[in-house]
Amino acid sequence: MEFFIQQLINGITLGAVYALIALGYTMVYGIIQLINFAHGEFFAAGGYMGVILISYLAAQGLHPYACLGISLVLSMGYCALLAMAVEQLAYKPLRQASRLAALLSALGMSIFLQNGLMLTQGVYDKPYPTEITAGGFEWGLISVSYMQIFIVGLTAVLLVALNILVFKTRIGRAMRATSQDKVMAALVGINSNRVIATTFAIGAALAAAAGIMVGLYYGSVNYSMGFVPGIKAFAAAVLGGIGNITGALIGGLIIGMVEIFAAGYISGEYKDVFAFVILIGVLYFRPTGIMGENVDDTRV
Amino acid sequence: MANLTLDDICVRFGGLQALTDVSFSLTEGEVVGLIGPNGAGKTTVFNVITGVYKASSGKVDYDGSTITGLRPYQVLSMGIARTFQNIRLFQNMTALENCMVAQHSRSKVGVIGAVLRSSAQRREEEVIAEKSQKALDFMGLGDKTDEVASNLPYGHQRRLEIARALASEPQTILLDEPAAGLNPAESVELMEYIGHITDLGINVLMVEHDMKVVMGICSRIVVLDHGVMIAEGLPGEIRKNPTVIEAYLGQ
Amino acid sequence: MKRLLALIAALAVMTMVLTGCGEEKAAEKVLKIGTMSPLTGPYAADGNDIRQGAEIAIEVIKEQGGIEGFDDIQIFPQDTACDPKQAVAAANKLINDEVTGVVGAYCSSSTIPASETLAEENIIMLTPASTSPKVTERGLTNMFRTCGRDDHQAPAAVKFMKDVAGVKSIFIVDDKTTYSQGLAEGVAAAATAAGIEVKEHDHVNQGDKDYSAVLTKVKAANPDLFYISLQNSATGALMMIQAKRMGVDAILMGQDAVYHPKLVEIAKSAAEGAFCTFGAIDKDAEAFKTFVSKYKAKSGNEPGAYSAYAFDSAMAYLLAVKAAGTTDAAKVRAEILKLDFTGASKQVSYQENGDSGSNYTVYQVKDGKFVPYWNSLSGEKY
Repeated sequence: MEFFIQQLINGITLGAVYALIALGYTMVYGIIQLINFAHGEFFAAGGYMGVILISYLAAQGLHPYACLGISLVLSMGYCALLAMAVEQLAYKPLRQASRLAALLSALGMSIFLQNGLMLTQGVYDKPYPTEITAGGFEWGLISVSYMQIFIVGLTAVLLVALNILVFKTRIGRAMRATSQDKVMAALVGINSNRVIATTFAIGAALAAAAGIMVGLYYGSVNYSMGFVPGIKAFAAAVLGGIGNITGALIGGLIIGMVEIFAAGYISGEYKDVFAFVILIGVLYFRPTGIMGENVDDTRV
Repeated sequence: MANLTLDDICVRFGGLQALTDVSFSLTEGEVVGLIGPNGAGKTTVFNVITGVYKASSGKVDYDGSTITGLRPYQVLSMGIARTFQNIRLFQNMTALENCMVAQHSRSKVGVIGAVLRSSAQRREEEVIAEKSQKALDFMGLGDKTDEVASNLPYGHQRRLEIARALASEPQTILLDEPAAGLNPAESVELMEYIGHITDLGINVLMVEHDMKVVMGICSRIVVLDHGVMIAEGLPGEIRKNPTVIEAYLGQ
Repeated sequence: MKRLLALIAALAVMTMVLTGCGEEKAAEKVLKIGTMSPLTGPYAADGNDIRQGAEIAIEVIKEQGGIEGFDDIQIFPQDTACDPKQAVAAANKLINDEVTGVVGAYCSSSTIPASETLAEENIIMLTPASTSPKVTERGLTNMFRTCGRDDHQAPAAVKFMKDVAGVKSIFIVDDKTTYSQGLAEGVAAAATAAGIEVKEHDHVNQGDKDYSAVLTKVKAANPDLFYISLQNSATGALMMIQAKRMGVDAILMGQDAVYHPKLVEIAKSAAEGAFCTFGAIDKDAEAFKTFVSKYKAKSGNEPGAYSAYAFDSAMAYLLAVKAAGTTDAAKVRAEILKLDFTGASKQVSYQENGDSGSNYTVYQVKDGKFVPYWNSLSGEKY
């Protein structure tokens, strides 16, 4: 039982990270039907920006929590700007082109950003000051680190904030309107280019937050760290029903849990296999993903 | 004030001449009907005015400035709103939200303000909701506030489209076949609503096939055939105009 | 008129380029060495260690006056990405570049197919890092290995577990590469033979960051020692950090791939007390000191796990070419087999099959440094 609970906690933590990254995929897909393969790189860039800022601020003698908070906000802002630049450069000129062209542009952007990180930050892993959030609780076999609580808590806060943004604000209404009917949205006064840029920015900011949490949780960041979680988060977004915010959360949690339980009860060797078998299985019976039925209801 | 003038508008799609030298104007509080057989270019006129299509030549003036070449959202913020022949509501939003979206260009709080739930943001939301509710009330949809658009009956959806256009606080409204699919009783109701709209000082340009509606409320009528203006005048004159009759009968 | 001018200008440029090339060819005789290692992908760090190690060997030889009969020594670094297909492509690229000797690759799974491609063109290959026994067991005369072998490393590790650490049970995790899984299987077999209980042998995937599931298993199994066979030091560090956080209190033991200053830099206190096996290095030797100071000056980093082996591999090739006075593969091979020099990693000499012998030592992380703890050859603690 303790073993099960511990694995459950592990799964929720990993799932929360996937969910945060998946939101970016799903929001961008919802609004311009583009699978933004460069999204994982925002996650990596956020992780790097975070450690650079934390180290700098810590050197200025700030309290560790203040360092963390400020770095989190600034990194999210940085990645938001980066994503807007990427959108402007690589996707906007292709808005009228075929979807395949934009997809290829996204793949190219991913390679470009990853190599940019490698050239500027080096090939070695960059260590995170994990001592900021060291420690946790233990009950027998079960251990919960502060970092796990922090990850799940911050994910919950960001999700609530995102939901309010999308469903209760002017920007959110504009995003939903644009995703449903771009021409009509323009005709009721919405500048769709700006809304699309905003969507990219929000998705990238969430990925940046995930990048910092992953850095703190696992202890280091690496230029190629965006690739694998990017693929998993993409799978999570598709599983949950791409274009659907709640779906991204559910998909993220499922992929995280399946991975952990497959590794915990069967073998770590096959965990990815299980994750993707679940994905294929769900898509076989529900091609639109878990939340696919009312996909239009809540999609951004 | 809010005078819309089309000046020698031409639109070409490849080799197809969709509009040729179309010129007419619309003044404050006026209801002008735009009629003509199918494929005459009526909707193209709307698309040129609202910036969906670019005119090949000619210009559109509004409120003393040229609006040709502006993007659709900029045209709306100038004060020109529009409805569609086939209903294009945001189907998954509530009636109120549909109207609130139209307030986009009349409000300004951005992402940061929205996330922080600043007091300015909350105040603005309240104002937007209030104005949108007024637009719904105006179109007799006051009790349908939280109804999801796709669940509304057809006639109500038509009226919601107009309510949404009104919610953007326009001075000019372009209505594309507002009576399409309505039964005679609903058509009469619609004419009353359009009358109320002009009472607000909003001028209306309307494409409509239902001649009862057109003749009933339009102060002037413009007739298009194959992209060319063949007549312009009072309803009585148009009804007797031989060219117009030929164009319709020739169909 | 403009067109005519442009034409004349183009012709003029072409003439200059052509004569430039001609001159170069006539005057220079260049010794070309390739390196093969992962310069991109998850093992790019180790790949760079190797490239830089080889570069420094060339630098040293040049400082000593170069090699008679050659005007210059050039290096051609190729990226294998630890991918067999790309390794073969890299080997072909090096063949086109007309290199005569190659230092590399890193992953055994790259070294093996690449060496076969290079063998067809009689190009000498010296691996500084591939420890899979298969590397030197295919009868290839162009293949040499400067580092140790896994079938020596596994028994050394198990001997340490039994005789020195006195453990009764172990839990093994690997990340499924030819190298890491092969070594882990070797350890499992040797441990069982030595009477140590292997509680479980589990696997993780390359590129994983989250090891919580497998570590929960380790904690539940409660072994005396947790043997970590991962492909590189950064993932080793992640494993150690998470193990400590989870409260795994087994002894942590890794292998040669986690022996890297970056392990300690990333894992910090989580690596404290952990053991790992790596070749014995005489840090007081003059060759080692020179190498380290040159390496730091050039790259700004501490040498990585395989930098010294890469340095020695390149050195062995250069010395052999110098002695042979030619790049002819058969003559160079004969000279390589005659070598016996003090390198940065060890006393380097090669056997007929291309191996250079293993001298595994157990190191322990103490105050953020790898400190020699126990020598598997002598069976004594330092």
